[in-house]
Amino acid sequence: MNKVIIINLNGNAYQLEENGYEALRAYLDSAGRRLEANPDRDEIVADIEQAIADKFRAVLGANKTVVAAKEVEGVIAEMGPVEDASAPSGAAQADGRGAPAPGAHADPATGASAGAPKRLYKIADGAMIGGVCNGVAAYFNIDVTIVRILFAILAFTYGAGVLLYLLMMFILPSANTSAERAAAGGTPPTAQEFIRRAKAGYYEGMKAFGDRQTRREWKRKFKQDMRGWKRDFRREMHRGANQFHENWHQYWAQRGYPAAGAWIAIPILVMLSVLITLMGLACVISLLSTGAVFGMSLPAGIPVWAGVIFLIIAFRMATWPLREMRHSLYFGGGPYYAGSFVHFWNSIFWIGLLLLLIWYAKHHSSDVHEALGQIRPQLRHAVDSVKQWLDK
Amino acid sequence: MHINEKFTPIRKGLLEFLVLKIVSADKVYVADILGQLSGTEFATQEGTLYPLLSKMRREELVDYEWKESEAGPPRKYYELTAKGREQLRETSDYWQKISGTVKSLGQKSGQQ
Repeated sequence: MNKVIIINLNGNAYQLEENGYEALRAYLDSAGRRLEANPDRDEIVADIEQAIADKFRAVLGANKTVVAAKEVEGVIAEMGPVEDASAPSGAAQADGRGAPAPGAHADPATGASAGAPKRLYKIADGAMIGGVCNGVAAYFNIDVTIVRILFAILAFTYGAGVLLYLLMMFILPSANTSAERAAAGGTPPTAQEFIRRAKAGYYEGMKAFGDRQTRREWKRKFKQDMRGWKRDFRREMHRGANQFHENWHQYWAQRGYPAAGAWIAIPILVMLSVLITLMGLACVISLLSTGAVFGMSLPAGIPVWAGVIFLIIAFRMATWPLREMRHSLYFGGGPYYAGSFVHFWNSIFWIGLLLLLIWYAKHHSSDVHEALGQIRPQLRHAVDSVKQWLDK
Repeated sequence: MHINEKFTPIRKGLLEFLVLKIVSADKVYVADILGQLSGTEFATQEGTLYPLLSKMRREELVDYEWKESEAGPPRKYYELTAKGREQLRETSDYWQKISGTVKSLGQKSGQQ
């Protein structure tokens, strides 16, 4: 069963299958864009619509009222790519617009960016788990690795990333047809453009995207806006930092400053939890990118996402004593002193055990040793890709 | 490169000439032009022909009038203008010269 969309071609209604409609719209939009500079653009597009309508009529009959997607594609192929006869052919070839497109539908570079609404999909091709990251990456047109890293980081904030992922896995439709895949990677060529478009309603401007002059103008405006945005962001961060500073002082003023030893212990503890967090991150990244943690791959039959959840639980367990310890130190001067002191030693014990385990694993298992050595380059790689993305 | 591809720009350039020729013979609409070209090396598609005809009309080489058709909506029937006929004559002459040159070049001088 297919959804049917009714369209109006030069005053006559035609019913098309949904996929066919998408393909036709991509074709007509791309035609309109290629004829951008043509003074007779509207007339030519009307002629082309009329010709398409004639071809549709030839396909339809008394017992056939809907044009199938296949037939639409056939008609588009028959029509051929629209080439602007008045454009200097050299220029047209140079920027690739004059090059014939094999039916706008199959040509995501030109056809799909024709203003078809962009949608968030799951993309199964090259997916690690459910294709959610893939779809998000296509939507914002950024490297899928970055999306995966972001999800991994989110996973460590109370498992939000995992929840979000699972939710999206259930909610998002899969991009199965080529039209859907085109829509998944569709209109905005970069993430920034998406932000831009959302910010200022530049949707209309996108129509003129094939035109160099407009594009340049648009780019200039966009850069200007981004600079403003960055400035705002920096100011915001600055204010946030000040606020934090104030709160910090208020907090300690209310509770009384902790014992002298805590001033040394707290930074160490924080450093430790940061280290463990980084390690946990590296574990998830390596699980996602190589399917193995510390050289140990998942047992057969256990999906990657289960591994990720397991890692997060393990991470929570590993950091629990640290958190507990910090907590007891913060309230060290308070009324819970006796109780938290026990917690404190309890935590020390936990950490000692953990460190012992890691030390033991490091010296007695070459796999673990290697994996620990891998963390640094992996982190650097992750940081590099984030940097690259920011530079772009 | 296949010979067919090598001649792509030439075929493209000649298309306007051929359309002038076809339109000069009779009042035609786009499907007629496509039909006449379809069996030849110059077979083309609506996507190319409509923009070309629109350009030729802007240059006042052709003009069209709407005519009712037995089936479906009215169609645009194209015909040559005086300027178009002039252009066709010039182009034909030039083409004669070109094909003459193509024939004569590279022949042994003794045969001339």
